[in-house]
Amino acid sequence: MLSEPLVDRLTDTPLFAVGLTLAAYLLGMALFRRLKQPPWFPAILIAALLLAGFLAISGIHYTVYQDGARWLSVLLGPATVALGMPLYQQLPRIRELWRPLVICLPISASLAALYAVGIAKLMGASDDVIASLAAKSVTAPIAIGITEQLGGSVALLMGALLITGVAAIAFVSLVTRVMKIRDERLIGFALGLNGHALGTVRAFEIGPTAGAFASLGMSLTGIFTALLLPWGWRLLGG
Amino acid sequence: MTALGGFLWLISFWLIGEVAVYFTALPISSGVIGMLLLCITLALRGGVPESLAAAAQPLIALLAMLIMPGVVGVFFIAGELVGQWTAIFVGLVLGTLLSVVTTLWLLQRLMRGHHAE
Repeated sequence: MLSEPLVDRLTDTPLFAVGLTLAAYLLGMALFRRLKQPPWFPAILIAALLLAGFLAISGIHYTVYQDGARWLSVLLGPATVALGMPLYQQLPRIRELWRPLVICLPISASLAALYAVGIAKLMGASDDVIASLAAKSVTAPIAIGITEQLGGSVALLMGALLITGVAAIAFVSLVTRVMKIRDERLIGFALGLNGHALGTVRAFEIGPTAGAFASLGMSLTGIFTALLLPWGWRLLGG
Repeated sequence: MTALGGFLWLISFWLIGEVAVYFTALPISSGVIGMLLLCITLALRGGVPESLAAAAQPLIALLAMLIMPGVVGVFFIAGELVGQWTAIFVGLVLGTLLSVVTTLWLLQRLMRGHHAE
């Protein structure tokens, strides 16, 4: 749609891609609030659809956009480091419940990856695809690092994170009703462990205790998976 | 301007992570190593310095925006994955259902002794 010299001129500096990302993000957030915050349609998905739609219509190639947006992506490194601060603030809670956590976390976090990888493999998914799904329950900044280590596709990982987050929210609400679980600590921890940041946002809507346990579940799952998944992958010859 | 000092903390820990990965060849991202080192440093120090909080909080709040360029990519790889979407979708959805059930069942059994305060 836009003339080629104009596109070249605009994409000459990263400012176009950065501005585009900011605009889509703010618009996505506003629309999300307008739609009364549907849990199955997170703000980030709305924003990504808007941005993808704009790129498709304007004829700007995704790789050109991605190149400029690297100015934003590079901040993911320090932002991941920043997660060490809330982790430190949750240390008292970890100490209080260390026994159940020490048993539950390794089993649940491993199974969160293994179930999905196993099912996809049985159904004939290729090795690249499986490497992109393994970090599906890990919060995005950490999951990107893991997926790069495994040699998977970050783009597919992002899709997997969205589907997993939305599914985890729906299933936690269903399963806690069936199992008659009302303890906010359990609900929150399950949301954070299985549904990463999307589940954690949902947990904060339930209550502050659920939210705190969700962020705990999310950070511990992220660390555990980041430390062990690449080793396990090597052992299994992936 | 306090945030600037905090931002330098974050970048330094990330760079330390890079150096650690370079020398140990650990299959872990430098961000995760930096995060763990930051947590340990704060625990040893016994508190969060104001400048660090001023840099870390807004950065964490912006995480969703920082991953957007990657999320957009998923709409441009759809063609490469023809024939695998069912396996991907079933693996993710069924896998998530199974792991949610496992987590809740395990936690319920393990936390029986720990009553909510």
